[in-house]
Amino acid sequence: MKTLRLLGIGWLFHFKMIMRSAFDGIGQVIYPLFFATVAFFVFRAGDSPRTLLYASLGAAVMGMWSATSTTAGSAMQRERWQGTLEALVATPTNFALILLPVTIAMATIGIYSLVATLLWGRLLFGIQLTLVHPLLFVLSIPATVLTFGALGFLFAVCFVRFRAAWALGNMFEYPVWLICGFLVPLSFFPYWVRPISWILAPTWGMNAIRESSLGGSPLPDLLMCFALGTAYIALGFLVMDRLLRAARERAALSLT
Amino acid sequence: MNSVRLFFVGGLTSYRALFYWLSPTIYIPSLIVAPIFQILLFAYIGRSAGLQSDVFYVTGNAIQYAAIPCLFAMSQTVSGERFQNTLSAILVSPAKRFPLFVGRALPVMGNAAFVSAFSFAAGCIILGVTLPAGSIPGLAVVILVAAFSCTGLGLTNAAVSLRVRENAVLSNVIFGFLLIFTGANVPISELPGWMQDVSHVLPLTHAIQAARDLAAGEPFSDVTGLLATELGIGFTYLAGGLVLLRLFEWQGRKYATLEQL
Amino acid sequence: MAVVEAHDLRRVYKTHTGTIRRRVKEIEAVKSVSFQIEKGELFGLLGPNGAGKTTTIKMLITLLIPTSGHASVLGHDVVKDPREVRKRIGYVFGGERGVYERLSGYDNLRYFAELYGVPPKVQKPRIEELLELVGLKGREHERTEGYSRGMKQRLHVARGLLHDPEVVFLDEPTIGLDPVGARELRATIGTLTEAGKTILLTTHYMFEADALCDRIAVISQGEIVAEGTPAQLKSRVESGAVTEVEVYGIPDETVERLRTLEGVLSVWIEERDQAQVLSVQTRADVQLTAAILGHLNGSNVGRVSHREPTLEDAYVALVKDE
Repeated sequence: MKTLRLLGIGWLFHFKMIMRSAFDGIGQVIYPLFFATVAFFVFRAGDSPRTLLYASLGAAVMGMWSATSTTAGSAMQRERWQGTLEALVATPTNFALILLPVTIAMATIGIYSLVATLLWGRLLFGIQLTLVHPLLFVLSIPATVLTFGALGFLFAVCFVRFRAAWALGNMFEYPVWLICGFLVPLSFFPYWVRPISWILAPTWGMNAIRESSLGGSPLPDLLMCFALGTAYIALGFLVMDRLLRAARERAALSLT
Repeated sequence: MNSVRLFFVGGLTSYRALFYWLSPTIYIPSLIVAPIFQILLFAYIGRSAGLQSDVFYVTGNAIQYAAIPCLFAMSQTVSGERFQNTLSAILVSPAKRFPLFVGRALPVMGNAAFVSAFSFAAGCIILGVTLPAGSIPGLAVVILVAAFSCTGLGLTNAAVSLRVRENAVLSNVIFGFLLIFTGANVPISELPGWMQDVSHVLPLTHAIQAARDLAAGEPFSDVTGLLATELGIGFTYLAGGLVLLRLFEWQGRKYATLEQL
Repeated sequence: MAVVEAHDLRRVYKTHTGTIRRRVKEIEAVKSVSFQIEKGELFGLLGPNGAGKTTTIKMLITLLIPTSGHASVLGHDVVKDPREVRKRIGYVFGGERGVYERLSGYDNLRYFAELYGVPPKVQKPRIEELLELVGLKGREHERTEGYSRGMKQRLHVARGLLHDPEVVFLDEPTIGLDPVGARELRATIGTLTEAGKTILLTTHYMFEADALCDRIAVISQGEIVAEGTPAQLKSRVESGAVTEVEVYGIPDETVERLRTLEGVLSVWIEERDQAQVLSVQTRADVQLTAAILGHLNGSNVGRVSHREPTLEDAYVALVKDE
């Protein structure tokens, strides 16, 4: 239907644009590899039941999250700089529907990071990827991309008001890496951190990918991804109108 | 302009570039929240991997994170000139380079030291790390030396950034290298031989080692050697940066590309 | 009912200055702007830079919320009903920015066609038609980062017309265009009115407003200082007639004596290559050519001409009066 078409076209064009800035993309993929490398060294030296594959998967999803968090926040700033933010707001289409495919396109780039990290682990540390539930693994990846995109959408919605949105987006990179259980099981954290982790989709995306690789039950995780993603989108839509109005009042849609 | 004035005027411009960073929406996420979370991230990764040494990760990451202000803020003060088209004006002036750019570096260094110190303290409190009381003054010195040394690298990076369009990516890559090679999170002894060699010529490596020694209770006199080396490395990068700036200036004049810088 | 109605629009901007002591400065960009535009009219908002033209237009196209006052387009309030307004209006802003540089012109138009709800079947032919209209055919598949300023401007025009809007808002559309391009664009704007569209055009070019607009509102420092047809505006200001005489060197005392003549409003001299042009502005009811030439006896005199008061004279007077 019309909405799906709109989302699809939005995703296509923004993905096209992201792909066309090779240098940024390469930086996007390389940066998480440094953290992955550290993780590999640490896990190799350590004395824990968690394997290097555990680290590899965790680092791979770290890369996927970076692709979203570091760019979703600054997406609006970039639109503002290009002068296109106004052009988008001035269309009769609900701005939330315009914004959502943008962040999903950014999250899609995370797939490159995922692949690069797994390859890196394989090449440098000999980490082999096992797939206990291969079909669910393949399903987990787009599911994770979509929920990351949805969460990125919520960030972008909240940051439309701020001119230094990029800094706020970046602020969520480390915390999510930490508390969503990418490299550290949630049991290590104080009990009050758990609920925060549970409402963050990355926790479930990570679980889904990890459990389809290492073994476990990814299906409930996938369902949580879906549920949370829907919740983020709904929240974003609800808040969008109010926030855009604030931006129109403060003349924050353009640079001048 | 005499050197002293240059020193302070240069400093003021850098301060203004720093003002961009001082805006709370940028400063708090990037220089307060982020370094604390980096410390927590690696401390917990260490715990998760079965390595129980919080202090190792606090010292390593608090000092390593100084690279962010050093690389980015320094780059901005130099590139900021480019955007205002005043860089060429400065470079063709007879102004002495040393006081001008060193003046510029001071606020950056001060800020870097503050960022390290704050995240260090916060990390210790959150993770429950206790330090020997006598080590605190020594650690303060180490942090200052580390900030200085990294600022030197920052200047070199800033100079190179003039030639590279995507300088944010370059700065991020350098940050990544420092994360691994300085021993911030992986003991140098565990790195392959060639990597260890690289570690020893990078800033922060010796400062981090000094900080760890002090935190372990060693007296300050034991780390002076490390600090001296760190200072030397800092000076080398500082000089390197100045040389590069001079080189680009000369090239700019020769090939009429000053405005393209 | 008027197609566009603006009542006492006011817009204040708050800017923050200083970093240690953050002061809030308030700038009143638009103090009080009211006007109405009827269907099919080409309405001009004429004023110098900084007068508040862009701010006014942004309020009408729903990008800015007025600090006070209200406005409506085709009966829909711009603040309460922005989506309905957006469906029916197109806008064209000048400048280098506002297009996706990494996409081709064609892709830019396709994307926005989708956002403006142009039915899929109609999109392709409409885009082709618009590319033809603005003269971008043949270049549409190149990335817009390679477009010249004029080409980007034309792309803006095409985008503004994608959904065939009833009302079109143009903010200084010919600025930065070369004379040929500007002329073509003005011709295009003319055809839009012929197609029955209502147009609001802002500009600081007097001759453009004069040539194109059915009615003009002169805006200066956030307020409308005059409104009317170009002819009405011209007659509003007592500017009389201007006699221009080409001279080759004229003594200052002669100029002074001319100033004191009965019926003379003002005298000024312009340097023009080898000669100077002496301009004498006189009241409309007097004929002073002979007297002027009489005073110039003894100096070398070239061509003599008379000209009508232009809109520029009226405009300058209106804007300078403030």
